[in-house]
Amino acid sequence: MSRIAITGIGVISALGDSVEANHNALVKSECGLSSLQLFKTIYSDTLKFGEIKIENEQLKNRLNIKLNGITRTSLLALHALKEAVNDSKLTKSQIESYDTALIVANTVGGMCLTDELYQDSNSKENGSEYLSSYDCGSTTLFLQNQLGVKGVCNTINTACSSSANAIMFAARLINNGYAKRAIVGGVDSLAKFTINGFNSLGILAPQNCKPFDKDRNGLNLGEGSGFIVIEKESDVDDKKIYAILSGYFNSNDAFHPSALSDNGEGPFLAMKGALKTANLSPFQIGYVNTHGTGTENNDEVEGRALKRIFEIVPPFASTKSKIGHCLGAAAAIESVFSIIALNNHEIFPSLNFTTPIESTGLTPLLEYKKYSFEHIMTNSFGFGGNCSSLIFSKK
Amino acid sequence: MYIHKSTCISPQQTYSEVDLEKTILSVNNILTVVEPKYQDIPLNILRRMGKAVRMGVGAALPLIKDSKNIDGIIIGTANGGMEDCIKFLNQIVQFEEGRLTPTNFVQSTPNAIAAQISITTQNKGYNITHVHRGLAFENALIDAQMLLKENLDFNLLVGGVDEISSYNYNIENLGGWYKEKEIDNTELYKNDSKGTIAGEGVTMFLVNNCKENCFANISAIKTLHTNKTDEVAEQLKLFIADNISPEQKIDLFITGENGDNRLQNYYNICEKVLDKNTGIARFKHFCGEYPTASAFSVWLASQILNNQIIPKHFIKQDRFPQSLSKKTLSDICNNKVERILIYNNYKGQQHSFMLIEK
Amino acid sequence: MEREELKLQLKNHIIKYLNLLEMTPDDIKDDQPLFGDGLGLDSIDSIELIVLLEREYGIKIQDPKDGRKILADINSMLDYILEHRTK
Repeated sequence: MSRIAITGIGVISALGDSVEANHNALVKSECGLSSLQLFKTIYSDTLKFGEIKIENEQLKNRLNIKLNGITRTSLLALHALKEAVNDSKLTKSQIESYDTALIVANTVGGMCLTDELYQDSNSKENGSEYLSSYDCGSTTLFLQNQLGVKGVCNTINTACSSSANAIMFAARLINNGYAKRAIVGGVDSLAKFTINGFNSLGILAPQNCKPFDKDRNGLNLGEGSGFIVIEKESDVDDKKIYAILSGYFNSNDAFHPSALSDNGEGPFLAMKGALKTANLSPFQIGYVNTHGTGTENNDEVEGRALKRIFEIVPPFASTKSKIGHCLGAAAAIESVFSIIALNNHEIFPSLNFTTPIESTGLTPLLEYKKYSFEHIMTNSFGFGGNCSSLIFSKK
Repeated sequence: MYIHKSTCISPQQTYSEVDLEKTILSVNNILTVVEPKYQDIPLNILRRMGKAVRMGVGAALPLIKDSKNIDGIIIGTANGGMEDCIKFLNQIVQFEEGRLTPTNFVQSTPNAIAAQISITTQNKGYNITHVHRGLAFENALIDAQMLLKENLDFNLLVGGVDEISSYNYNIENLGGWYKEKEIDNTELYKNDSKGTIAGEGVTMFLVNNCKENCFANISAIKTLHTNKTDEVAEQLKLFIADNISPEQKIDLFITGENGDNRLQNYYNICEKVLDKNTGIARFKHFCGEYPTASAFSVWLASQILNNQIIPKHFIKQDRFPQSLSKKTLSDICNNKVERILIYNNYKGQQHSFMLIEK
Repeated sequence: MEREELKLQLKNHIIKYLNLLEMTPDDIKDDQPLFGDGLGLDSIDSIELIVLLEREYGIKIQDPKDGRKILADINSMLDYILEHRTK
């Protein structure tokens, strides 16, 4: 079976609006978390978020979108998607052929428009322009329409692990002959829905999050989008190949709707399965991009699961300390970050860490480093026990 | 992909004692499910569940509670717990983002259905939720098809779930997707106007690669995104050429016709692709229109293949004037039904073809 | 409001907020632990009960750790409500 090659990457996050901008910010260990300037909620000034400081109108102009009813979610997705597609030099006829798939992960859809949705769902007349833009599928259908994709199109929502599953699904479409190439990614924008949802569970950090710290006190929500183009390695002629998607696995923790089990069975199985698909031993993993949300539950459980998998836990960190938790976009953005790390022989630290969690004693990477390695693992665990891990390897 | 067990919770009598003859009528252009008593769900868990989660788990448990080896739970749902979602939204507005109760939020994420099935049955296998609007169920089937190619001995639960609440009814209604005048679902196809009637339901299947003792075989699936009728017809021809050999015959064509005259052309043109003697059946008067209604059609097809009976109200009679008084499918098709082709269309944008065989 | 009257009201609120199916106020004993082995409630329920106290009795509990003590059983909830209610 031919390997799955990554031939294009695109990203927009609180750290920047391109791969280059994000890479520069990662090298400088910058933090993109801040109070809210564009999005209005009663928590705008009191909590910190990974907000992208580009208004919708500006995004529309950049992307040359003149249609009505297009949500921020869709605009962020198109922004990252275009960068990835251009980067991979897919031709128009390739994009429009029946063997190009488009797989998008998304959890809030058009619910970023809380007030419009409130109006439309509670009234019998005067619908807004967003009537067909609230569901998660709407973003994918918008992208499909913009690009004229004719192959398999799908939208996946497994909460915080959504885009890891999107990447996995896309790779399997290629492996099983349902597509020759796929444009795959994830997106989410800030929404009162998710801000208040996570707040009601008491897991939003009052300040910048502190992944893996003993005194961590919650997560910061972020927004953004990441996209990659994947193709069969044997179909890639002389194009640049960033990395190989060598491993992936999905497992359920089967414990609680909004918390992971104490010994992290789901995370453990996801990592173990990804290693098996990639045919790798744990010691071959050079770096782990953890889920690392900064919540009491996740970081301790993930740490425990890491110790179960790895005899010596490799360098690891959480980029959520820089961009927040981008939910459905998290794994896609972090996959792009992982691919950047692998390609540039460098690893990016976690911020705001001082003291290890007692039960695990683990300390994340605290400084930017030049470091050459062959394989990177990236973890995504979500509500509903949905756990997935991916492994990217050097060509 | 062979179906071994199935359950269906729909607006009709399809759950415990199946009765496809009787049609329960719609109320205000909505067909609401007849919810069973959920004996398998512990009360302490049931109390938190919204309708979509409750129906999903309730339909899934009877299929898998006795099976030790379920290797994957694959759900297709466009909206998941829509009612919980808007309830939480209403809380945000009503209490001005103050202290809110989290249960609605946790239950409203579409993956809560697959997740709750996993938690209830302690299943740590593959678990995923496809939410691609009118093709959420088809993508779930494609996922299952791939998993069964990758793992020959897997047993999978695959299903489609969507609920209708007053909230998503309002949104769809404002979008012009339901009939303006109240009609009976039994008159759905007689009304030359835009819009359809709302429905909801859950259909769950237990599938694997084992042909022995199977209920039906889902042998091929294809999805398509376009608004061009010609392209749909073209792709249907290709689908047939790719999956049915010249000596094989399609015994029945089930379509997702839903009474919306804006979509009628898609169905007309697809009917013309088939041999003019092929029987045609419709089902949306029975379950209503919803994004994963195609899951109901697969369940219906498997019932027809097994029982070799199809009640008259499903049959598109205008094509068979000679059979008006006849009731069973074999009268219409003149022989056994072994192969059913399904074409469904969601809002003229998302299309699917599925082949179901005995 | 007298303690007994308040108790019945509180139990009814708990049943409504937590949607305790097929349960009546009599099924919740005054000294039965609400969490763990008693009524079998969990962390999400404790948040629901904190919201109940705020919406029905105007009581704001900031630290969830205080919540655990106050929400131990019906008696402890009643004591706290009688002392701190603002509506």
